[in-house]
Amino acid sequence: MFNVLVQAGSDFLALQTLFFLFAGVLVGLVFGVIPGLGGTTALAILLPLTFGMRVIDAFAMCGGIMGAVAMGGSISAILLNAPGTAPSAATCLDGYPLARQGRAAEAIGAVATASPLGGLFGMLTLLLVFPIARDIVLLFGPPEFFLLAVFGLVSIAVADAANLLRGLIVAGVGLMLSFVGYDAVNGGVRFTLGSDYLWDGIPLVPALVGLFGMAEMIALSIQGGTVAADASAARFDGVTAGMRATLRHWRVVIRGSVIGTIIGAVPGVGGTVATFIAYSTTKKADRHPETFGTGRIEGVIAPEAANNAKDSGALLPTLAFGIPGSAEMAVFLGILVLHGLQPGPAMFVDHQREIYGLVIALTVAAVLASIIGLIFVRRLALITKVPGGILAPTVIAISLVGTFAIESRPGDVILAAVFGVLGYLMMRFDYPRLPLVIALVLGETAERGFHQSMIIGRGDWSVFVSSPTSIVLAALIFLSLFWSVIPRLMQRSAANRTGSSS
Amino acid sequence: MIKGHPIHRFAITLVITAMLSIVVNTALAQYPERDITIVIPYNSGGGFDSYVRALAPRLEEHLPRTVNVLPQNTPGAGGRRGTTTVYRARPDGYTIGAFNLPGVLIPQLEEMNIGYDLAQVTWLATLGDDPYVYAVNADSPIRSLAELRQAGQTIYYSATGPGSTSYIATTIVNEVLGIRYEIVTGYTGSSAYILGVIRGDVDAALVNLSAARPYIRSGDLRVLALFGAASDDSAVPDAAALGAPELGRLKLVRMIGGPPGLPAPVRQTLEAALLAALADPGFTAWLKASGNELSPAGAEATAQAVRDMSAFYESFKHLLN
Repeated sequence: MFNVLVQAGSDFLALQTLFFLFAGVLVGLVFGVIPGLGGTTALAILLPLTFGMRVIDAFAMCGGIMGAVAMGGSISAILLNAPGTAPSAATCLDGYPLARQGRAAEAIGAVATASPLGGLFGMLTLLLVFPIARDIVLLFGPPEFFLLAVFGLVSIAVADAANLLRGLIVAGVGLMLSFVGYDAVNGGVRFTLGSDYLWDGIPLVPALVGLFGMAEMIALSIQGGTVAADASAARFDGVTAGMRATLRHWRVVIRGSVIGTIIGAVPGVGGTVATFIAYSTTKKADRHPETFGTGRIEGVIAPEAANNAKDSGALLPTLAFGIPGSAEMAVFLGILVLHGLQPGPAMFVDHQREIYGLVIALTVAAVLASIIGLIFVRRLALITKVPGGILAPTVIAISLVGTFAIESRPGDVILAAVFGVLGYLMMRFDYPRLPLVIALVLGETAERGFHQSMIIGRGDWSVFVSSPTSIVLAALIFLSLFWSVIPRLMQRSAANRTGSSS
Repeated sequence: MIKGHPIHRFAITLVITAMLSIVVNTALAQYPERDITIVIPYNSGGGFDSYVRALAPRLEEHLPRTVNVLPQNTPGAGGRRGTTTVYRARPDGYTIGAFNLPGVLIPQLEEMNIGYDLAQVTWLATLGDDPYVYAVNADSPIRSLAELRQAGQTIYYSATGPGSTSYIATTIVNEVLGIRYEIVTGYTGSSAYILGVIRGDVDAALVNLSAARPYIRSGDLRVLALFGAASDDSAVPDAAALGAPELGRLKLVRMIGGPPGLPAPVRQTLEAALLAALADPGFTAWLKASGNELSPAGAEATAQAVRDMSAFYESFKHLLN
């Protein structure tokens, strides 16, 4: 293995390959920053260009894009509360409050350190598990998909102690929205209001652009002022503090990376859920979970580590079985086929060198993107001092153009606008928005997994605890419910009892 | 303006008219004079997408004039959105599309509210056929279809959604062969339902050969029957050997077509260029490397294949809903 790794590394020393890697990083950063656009769009646009390239150059460019997109997406998440890419949504939760306190540079410093560390961790794990990639992918069948989706939904329920009821209401709405469109289990279309546009369901990216980016800009233009609550107090010198904080919280980095790698490897669940679970797990493990959401640096570090670790995880099902672990991987799969590489069982044997090359590109890209981000951090953080009257229309216009650019569907723009208003109302009346996103992503996986499991298990419920993986997942669900919700309910009933007896 | 006898004037007018029509004709014969768009009704990155993208540069080389051939992804509604886009385009030869049959044919037979009629499409060429294999896990106790037909046990299959090609192929094969079956739907694509067989979620699946081949080679899948092509392996019976020759029509076909009413010269130019591109050594080399197969056919054969396929699925219409 080591020999192949060195060979693959030496491939990158060619000037041409480095050039494509660097070009990929720049494209990835720009596409990441613009809400609506993301790695998927960047890869789709560049796909025809890779046709004439050598495989290693194409992989360098793709790796560059995928490794850098996370950094770009998180910069807009922190500065504007508008996640540039879907997986960066979790970074908004504490990143934006930090920016409001004038600590944007610190948050970006933390991102720039946590991202490459997460990427490195994912790469090392990937190299270790390559020989057993096949067995790992085979661990997850319909019952496991269902349980994993339930685990994601349960973490919504327990994430926000103060807002439990509101969180559940929003998650319920999210689940209903996730059922819109063609039902792949029973056939037939549901809740499309007769529109062809909704046949494929509610698209995640326009919904996110509206829910976070547009909603925030609506709020900003109504309130007036700047992103940094006190523009004069905004400090731009916190970069090193953010970097040090990441190193100090190395446990958070490792936890985020582990979660990112594992969840990234599960097709259909993907990056958005990985970063969110990394966030909520960190919050639960903390001594003061109630302070999350007010600008805790750990709330930035955990999802960022997961965000870059997930790409390595997502490569497993993509390469071993041609099943994309994420939307980006679906396009990347096309680039593989275009270059005559057929994903499947023989991939790890026949094309080891190219695969290692890609993994190296992903990691180097994360480091490069961080360095570029750090160089520009002072300039970027200035955005938080731009008056809302100028910032809001600009960001809304760019977001809508970005949304339209994905598939040139006018419906996407309307959907983003609708979710923008919805998002603003949710902010205004204090309903958390992330449960909506998670339920929207997981609803279909949960429903499909449940249906399929029940047919496969001949209608017997024991199908959900019939494999070691499913038993572990079921235990995780039970534990997270037990540790967070049940004590609280007991406390409350105890309080009620004392209340009524006094 | 034109001096002289009226007859002369008339003669001159005739000559000018004739010259003008020659000019107009040459203009038409000079097709293409701008870029040609090929609509791919799926997301970029899919199998069909790479196929068309690999073909496009070869097509450019074989057109009589140098223009770009631009693949454009118009995904949505299971391929129907892209198909409708091509169907409604101006029949000038600058918008053509890739069609996946029977994928876009079945909604038409189900009389869904769709925006096209495949019988009206101007068919240009067939890229390739992809036959179906009846695949089981290599460790499966099931040895042959003949055994299954006698045993009478219920066999579980994996497939994508109801109404999808894999679901309908599974239904037709089991109904015709008289095997009791249950289909687990909802898999996201052929790779996903192949994995369902390998993992043991289900007993078997009907998979198109190009998707199954890597797993047959690696020893994960075992093939019990081949539909849509003649089998050259005595251990693997084909439709005729199973005594159900009608199942020989079960296959996926990738075709290229244009909007209804494409002018004959344009159609001929495109057909010739497509067939030349499909025979191009550069393209066939790519096909071999990526595990795709080619069985090119011209416009007339393609139109006939669409008619045959419509008649075949029409005869199973009672199973479609």
